[in-house]
Parts: sequence; C-alpha cells; structure tokens
Amino acid sequence: MSSFSNKIDEWIKEAEARPGSALMIVKLVAKRLRELTERNEELRAENIALQNGTRVEEYQKRITHLEYQLDLLKRRFGASDVEPAELPTPPTTAATSSFLVYNAYGRISRIEINAATQALGRIADMKLQDREQPRLLVVPSNEEVLLLFTSGRVSTCAVSNIPTLECGAEWSWDQAALPDEPRAAEMLVCITPLSHLPITEFFLQVSRRGCVKKTMTSMAQSILANHYLGKGAIQKSDQPFDITLCQKTDLFAFVTFEGKLIGLDVDDLPYSVEDRIRLTATDYVIGSFIAHPEESMLFVTQTGKVIHREHESLDLSKSSLAKGQSLIPPSRLEQGVRFVGAASVRDTDRVAVLDARGNIRVHMAESIIGGGSIEADGLTGEVLSIGVIPADVWNGVHP
Amino acid sequence: MSVKVGVDFGTSNSGVAVYDGQRVKLLAVDPKNVLPEVIKTVLYITRDYRASIGQEAVETYYRDNVNRQRRYVKQWAGEIDVRGADMHYVRDIYVYVDELKPGRLLQYLKTALRKDDYKGTYIFERYYTVGDLAKTYLSLLKQRAEAVLGESINSVTLGRPVKFSESPEQDRKAEETLRQAAQEAGFKEVDFELEPIAAALDYEQSITQPQNVVIFDFGGGTLDIAVMRLGDPRTRKVYASGGVDIAGSDFDRTIIEKRMLSHFGHSQVIHHPELLEMVNAIPDWMALPELGTPINKNILEKAIHAGIAPVRLKALEGLIYNDLAFTFYNRVEAGKIALSSDGATIISLEDKDIALWELYTRHQFETDIYHYLIDVEKVLLDTIARSGLEPGEIDAVVKTGGSSSIPLFTEMLARVFGEEKVRQSSAFSSVVAGLAIKAKMSSVVE
Repeated sequence: MSSFSNKIDEWIKEAEARPGSALMIVKLVAKRLRELTERNEELRAENIALQNGTRVEEYQKRITHLEYQLDLLKRRFGASDVEPAELPTPPTTAATSSFLVYNAYGRISRIEINAATQALGRIADMKLQDREQPRLLVVPSNEEVLLLFTSGRVSTCAVSNIPTLECGAEWSWDQAALPDEPRAAEMLVCITPLSHLPITEFFLQVSRRGCVKKTMTSMAQSILANHYLGKGAIQKSDQPFDITLCQKTDLFAFVTFEGKLIGLDVDDLPYSVEDRIRLTATDYVIGSFIAHPEESMLFVTQTGKVIHREHESLDLSKSSLAKGQSLIPPSRLEQGVRFVGAASVRDTDRVAVLDARGNIRVHMAESIIGGGSIEADGLTGEVLSIGVIPADVWNGVHP
Repeated sequence: MSVKVGVDFGTSNSGVAVYDGQRVKLLAVDPKNVLPEVIKTVLYITRDYRASIGQEAVETYYRDNVNRQRRYVKQWAGEIDVRGADMHYVRDIYVYVDELKPGRLLQYLKTALRKDDYKGTYIFERYYTVGDLAKTYLSLLKQRAEAVLGESINSVTLGRPVKFSESPEQDRKAEETLRQAAQEAGFKEVDFELEPIAAALDYEQSITQPQNVVIFDFGGGTLDIAVMRLGDPRTRKVYASGGVDIAGSDFDRTIIEKRMLSHFGHSQVIHHPELLEMVNAIPDWMALPELGTPINKNILEKAIHAGIAPVRLKALEGLIYNDLAFTFYNRVEAGKIALSSDGATIISLEDKDIALWELYTRHQFETDIYHYLIDVEKVLLDTIARSGLEPGEIDAVVKTGGSSSIPLFTEMLARVFGEEKVRQSSAFSSVVAGLAIKAKMSSVVE
C-alpha cells in the first residue's frame, strides 16, 4: 500500500511540474477505474454463480459429457473393462471393415470386406424399395453408429452387433438386421459413424429441401440420452436427409437431384435451422459431404456418368437462399439427366455402386474419374446409390 | 549497372538510402512498417532455417509463437571435466529443449557485436556466430533494397558508432565482424563512416554558411557525439568525437527494473532465491526467453500452489511460457516513446494470466534515468573540451536518433548551448541519408 501511495505522490509531482499532465492522469485513471469496475462486476457475477451452484451444475454436465466420450472411446478400442490409464494402443491393421447397406425401413445388411473384394453381393428383392433408395456406408467393424430417423429421433448401435452376410452372395432384405425398428410413420434416414464424436465440434444436419442445422457435440450426452436430435427442417413436409460430424474449420457441401451444388463454411452456419438453397418444386438433396482440401468431388448421374470437380472449384455460399453452382447445363437437364450420388474422394479410394438390379460392385475412384463413367466399368443397370470406401479402410488400416 | 548505397545498421531500426548527387532517396525496404523507409533490426529464423526481417519477422513470430504448445525434451549438450586434488571425472551436461519451438526471434544484433562475452547462439541444430546473424540480416536487407531499386547493389557505406566498445581491441573486432558480414552478404566493397558524421553530412545539405556543429546521435544502442566544422567541403573538419554505451535500450531496462518487477512479485519473493533469480532476469532480453524450462515451471507452480504471490507469479509464468517477452519489451519501449510528447502514459499487458497496468509519468521517467543524464552531460562536455571550442562557439546542435527526442536530454542541450541552437533532424533517417551522401562521395573519388 505504501508503494502505491508513493506512486500517487509521484503522479502529483508530475501534475505540479506540468499542469497539463494532470488532465491526462485523471483521464487515464478514470479509464482504468471503469475497466476495473466492469471486471469487478464480472467477478461478482461469477461468485454468485459459484455460490448458488449454477457453475457447479455446469461443471457436472461437462464431467458427464466427458465421461460419455470416454465411454465411447473405450467401446471403440474394445477396452470397456480396463482403467483409462491402461487403454491399449489401438491395433492399426487388425480390425476389419464392414460394408453396410441400409434402407428406409431400418433394415441393415452388413458384409465384412477386405482388399480383394470386387463384387459385394446382390440384393434379390430390390423392387420392394419403392420410396427411398438404399444407402451404402463403409466403417471399421468396431465402430459405433448413429441412426437418424425422419422424426428427428436418434439411436446408437455397435456395428459388431449387426450379423454379417456372406460377401459376394445374393441376399434379401428379410435376412438383414433390424437393430432399431422405425416407429409408426417413421423412416430411417441415415447412419453415420460416431467414434470421432469426442474430437469433433458439431453435428451438421441437412434436410431434403436444403435446410442446414448445426448442433454442438458438447450436447451429445443429452441428445443421446433423450434419443432426440430434431428434424433440422423448417417445413412440415420436409424431412432430414443426412447428418455428419465436423469441425468448425470444415467446408460442407451438398448436391441436389437436378445438379445444384452448394458449398458452406461450417463456422458461418447458425445453430438454428436455416434454408440454404432455392430449389424447384421437384428438386431435393441427394448427397452431402465434408469437402476436404486434399480430396476432389465426384458426382454420379442415374446413367452412371461421372462428373469430377477439384476442391478449389467449390464456391462458398454466403446467402441464405442461393441458387447453387450448376453441375450440368440446362439442356442436359431437359434430356432427363439427374444426380443420384455425390462424395468427396481421393484417387486411391474405392466407390461402391448399387444399381437397379441390386448388384453392388466396387470400382477404383481413379478409374471411374478417368473413364468419366461407371458404365464402362461393368454397370448392369441404372445407378441407385453410391458409397465411398476410403483407401485406408479398404486396406484395413483404421485411423 | 550497380549502385553504392548507405546502410544504417541500427540497434533498433535500420535503413537503406541512395544519393544521386542532388537528392537522397530513402528506400522503402519494409512496406509492412508504418514508416516503410525504416526497418526494425529484428531477425526471425524458423526451424527450417528460413529467415525474415523487419515487420515480417515480427508478424511471423507472433503468428507462430504466442500461446503455442511446448514440449520439452532432454538433450545432451556436452560434458565438463571436474578436477579435484586427487580425482578427475567427466560429467555429462543436459539441457531441456522445446522441440515444438517454431523459430527464434533475434533483436539488438548490433549490441551483440560489441559484447565481448557474446560469441553467438545455437538456432536449433546450427550455431550462428554474431557475424552469421549480421550477415543473414544484411543479406535480406540487400535483397529488399535491390528489389526496390531494380538494380544490383555491390558497394555499401555502413554506419558505425564512434565507439562500438570502450576497449579498442573489441571496437576493432566489432567493425571487422560487421565488415566481413557485409561482404558475405554480397557487398563486394564495404567502407564505414561514423554515424554522427553521416548525420552531419545530411545536415550540411541544409546550411549555406560554415558552422561549428555538434551532432548528438542518441539511438537505441549508443550515444555518439561529433563536433565538426560544416558548410564548406574544403574546410570540413572533425574537431572531436566521443561516445558512450548509453541509449534507448538502457532506458527500457531501467523502466523494467524500477517499475515493472513489482508486477511479477519482486518484493514478495525476496527470500526465495530461485524465484528471485527468475524475476531479476526479466529486464535482460537475452536471459528471459531462456527461463522457459520445465524445471522453472515446476518451481513457479509449486510457489503458486504454496500461495507465494500467486497472482504475480502466475503473471510471470504467463510472461515466460506464453512467449510474451517480445510484446512486453515493445510495450515498455512504446511507453517510453510516448513520454517524449506526453506527461503520462500507460504501460499495459493484458493476456492470459497477466493484467499488467502501470501509469507512468514523465516525472517518474526522468527521476529513473537521471543518473544517465549526468553521464551523458559529462561525455558531451568532455567532447566539447577536446574539440578546443567553448559551448558559446557552437553554432548549432543537431539531434538525431530516437532517444534524442527525450525532453530531459533536449533540456540539457538547451541549458548547455542555448535553446535556439538545438535543432531536431529526422530521428530515423538523417544517419542513413548521410551515409548515402558519403557513399556517393567515395564512389566519385574512386
């Protein structure tokens, strides 16, 4: 305190020596006083939060969330019975990869694949699929997946709990597992791998009519406990299309049936549902993905034609109702060309293709990009759906 | 075609200029700086040995370093022989190295030239002598100047203080090191001119009659004084010159010692030698970055846990481990500069764990550096006495260099010579302008 008194004496001496400095000293001290008053108020508010338990509750929630993430990691590494300090180093090549084919009725077929797989099999009863087309997903066999339904309901399921089907064989949807049967008036929308949840920041949803919503993954514990994430749509007739986990630095892209491409900066997206594209009455979203800088974008039409674009060509849309980049000229649209799938790929990745006859075949991304068409690579009918098999997953190296 | 330029390799700031016989052109060698003709004498070298200078170096340093992650690894540094009366053994020496450190920022390169005990430094795996550091800086400065001029530069007139050091041997060594560094940087012909004489040549452009002039070149590293007869090239004469190792960096250090250490718990850790040693290292710009070892972090955290000045030691921890030293020194320097025009200023540093705020007045500053004023006045009067002139015979006193704007010294000059004789030339450009004139004169003679 005495040293502070000395300081004040020195300030007074300055004011005596140069009276003009007095005003400046008063101004500087007053500014500091205002800053300290504001800071004091913040600290008092913090103190009240600590005393009434609000802060304690907040920390308890964070702890619960961290415990949940730890639990997820344990399940991923198959170490549910060991202490965290003893978590084994995950095997880099030992785990197998699973190819999942699922439909809107909640049926999921699982095939274990390896680097030699060419034909994954055939779905015998494709004609039963009269509404949504089946979708394809490749994940490590020890993965945990999130199931999103049209009502906004979510549930989780361990891939290893889904029975496997023989690779290359013919099978029907009756043989597929039904881990969580959709409820009345409900459909399965998509399945997404969940093990990266602890190291990602957002769930990002896109609806069929191009509405986008991001939700912080720190809320995952309550979302999964309540089994509800939300539809992520504005209109009642709209329904969710896809969900993905992402970071705030990521770029998100989606593509429509009529070939409109929209790029979005995840960091700029709001937490509320927002319409991001102006669609015609007949158009809807058919593909979405995180556009990584080191990958390129692949778009597939129903006839198996492939359109390839570099990552740099993706324009970021800032407006809430953009028209999007057109992937094909209007003349080709008039000829009936429509898009059925889109993905971000590297040349070394594989692309699984499901055609109208139910055949699922694997193609090298490099070869179909080079050929400009899947048709030349053994397509047996109209393309219904595609799925990317990352090179490292294909080779059994799970990051 | 190549030109000869003048280069002022200053302690805090540098510059390059060229003279065409009629006009001096200061080259905009640092477009990112507020004054593009002035470039900070700072050098940043990254882990992959890419070097940058000036504002670019500062920006790269801030981008890569502030609040970054650290990871220390123990590295073998060498061995020492321990000898007793009847025993002898060799002991290994290890140091902790931050393997995530992206680069090193080096400043006061010119001061390093005149320090007998500073030979060089390791930058990651490579050892850089003082000459290597100066060479790297001058080489980049030369490239920038060539880019501005659009032609190659082969010759240079470099400025040098009247005395690099009080020791003639060290003074000669410092000049030789700088000459070699300039040659290695690509200047084929290198000559030197004393900085105050360069400033005099610049001043001479503005006078029409012969005058007895005192050049008072007070910069970041040294004070240089020259008493000269100027105005007619035929009768141009240096009556006497002198200098002393007192300048801007000493004032910064004094401000830190007298006003800043209390913010880092100086008075509370007086009985804790390890902590006191750390706090006392704050004014030393070479020692502070070296404090960031895991051992020191452990000491600080233990002390904080034990309740020894926890807030202030946390601030010290933040200063050391969040790479805020450079910011801190800059804030102190900015406060000092502000006091040349204002009666009071704020020296502040707000960051994670640091909330430093100090209202600092000109009266306090003048009290703190008063002992330097006595030394400076003594050197000035000694130089005047050696010139054989009386203060009354001096026609003009020309101030140059950043520290010459400090009112305490201006008042002293006014007191000795009379207020009407004291002239302020451009603080940052008069030396380099004079060097450019000298470069032209010597190239014409050649």
